[in-house]
Amino acid sequence: MEALFYVFSFIAIFSALMVVTMRNPLTSALYLVLCFFALAGFYVLLDMQFLAVMQILVYAGAIMVLVVLVIMLLNISKIKSVKTDLHQKIIGIAISLVLLVEIIFYIAYGTTKKPTGIFTHSVIDKIGNTRVVGEFLFTKYMLSFEIASILLFVAIIGAYLFAKKKF
Amino acid sequence: MLFWLIAEVVKILIVFAGLLLSAAYLTLLERKIAARIQNRMGPMEAGFHGLLQPIADGIKLFFKEDIIPSEANKFLFILAPILVVIPALTTFAVIPFGAPVKIMGHTVPLQITDVNIGILFILALTSLGVYGVVLGGWASNSKYSLLGGIRTAAQMVSYEIALVLSIVGIIMIAGDLSLSKIVSEQSHMWFIVYQPVGFLLYLVASTAEMNRVPFDIGEAEGEIVAGFHTEYSSMEFAFYFIGEYAQMVVNSAVIVTLFLGGWQGPFLPPVLWFLIKVFFVILIYLWFRWTYPRLRYDELMDLGWKFLLPLALANIIVTGFIMVLLKG
Repeated sequence: MEALFYVFSFIAIFSALMVVTMRNPLTSALYLVLCFFALAGFYVLLDMQFLAVMQILVYAGAIMVLVVLVIMLLNISKIKSVKTDLHQKIIGIAISLVLLVEIIFYIAYGTTKKPTGIFTHSVIDKIGNTRVVGEFLFTKYMLSFEIASILLFVAIIGAYLFAKKKF
Repeated sequence: MLFWLIAEVVKILIVFAGLLLSAAYLTLLERKIAARIQNRMGPMEAGFHGLLQPIADGIKLFFKEDIIPSEANKFLFILAPILVVIPALTTFAVIPFGAPVKIMGHTVPLQITDVNIGILFILALTSLGVYGVVLGGWASNSKYSLLGGIRTAAQMVSYEIALVLSIVGIIMIAGDLSLSKIVSEQSHMWFIVYQPVGFLLYLVASTAEMNRVPFDIGEAEGEIVAGFHTEYSSMEFAFYFIGEYAQMVVNSAVIVTLFLGGWQGPFLPPVLWFLIKVFFVILIYLWFRWTYPRLRYDELMDLGWKFLLPLALANIIVTGFIMVLLKG
């Protein structure tokens, strides 16, 4: 299991690096798909098959397909020169510094925690984690779930209005 | 542990070989049925009534010159056909194809792996099939291929929604996402009886997902040469072919598992029942292809978004209401 964790980590980090360094946007997009697969692997290792499949179904199967489609339609095969300005650089450096400090902090002061609660490995194996996720979504996190669904609904109507204006 | 490992490897090999072989022989079946519908004989030269035709075709494709167009993205050009085959073959991992058998005191389920999210696994892999087609179209560096790729992507994204929603009724009735549980839930009555609309929706949407006639605007011969695989030749072309037919077998197996009671049936052994049912669903797909003319692009989008999608949503709501009424 631990070996698999390192394999997935390596793939995730490598593909994430490739996403930002590749010159061809389509190749970048495909490396992002690979990154999503590595993340799905993490979810499987954490006993969350439901999240793993959703990750692939929603991100790799739907969102990235649209991204790839847009890249193909615009036919941008190569970015010739990247325009950067000072603001971008400053913000970028600041964000990466904060992240670096965070990582160092976690590595230095973090301790491993034993999982707590009633949902142990054997319980999840028996009832399946889809049931667990569903139960939580419709009881404890009902409000946030409904807010998210309303947001998505608004987004659908917004997209429809924008598309309609063209005609 | 060792026994489990060996059983698992043997199962994988059987399924893999069976899928590839049936994909090869489906080409012959398709040509024979096309011939029958058009009142011809079909392939007759290689072997008895053309039985060796798939092998002859395979050898021919294998020895053909492998042409990669100049200016094509070589890596993606070769990767694309592989991306069509892998999801199609992997999907079969969660489909139960027979009742558990006892070998030397061990119970071996005839299913490569029984994950508790079986249906979602199938849907996730189905949604990846679009990459092979789109990338193949883009990497060929040809306008016809690109047009085919874009058309196919738009089509598959649209029909995927109807495909996913058509299964929700089954999940609601069975109350489980695991395919082996869904099969055992159907021991009294097949789910096609409770979900006739869902069955028809899945049949139509999966035909569109496989880009088969009448939904083959991605490779429409009359308009864009051969669509996304215009520039493909030799083994890469063969991979697209294997992918398409393997997908057909897998989709038929999914339909049998979800709607037609899986491997269950009286008298005959379960594996045989499974094969018979799959064969009949495949026949329906072939029958579609040689009966209906191709849909125009706007007709295709209208059918997907204005007919199948609302119908799938209505099917879910009606199923829910009936379930609540029957309970109370």
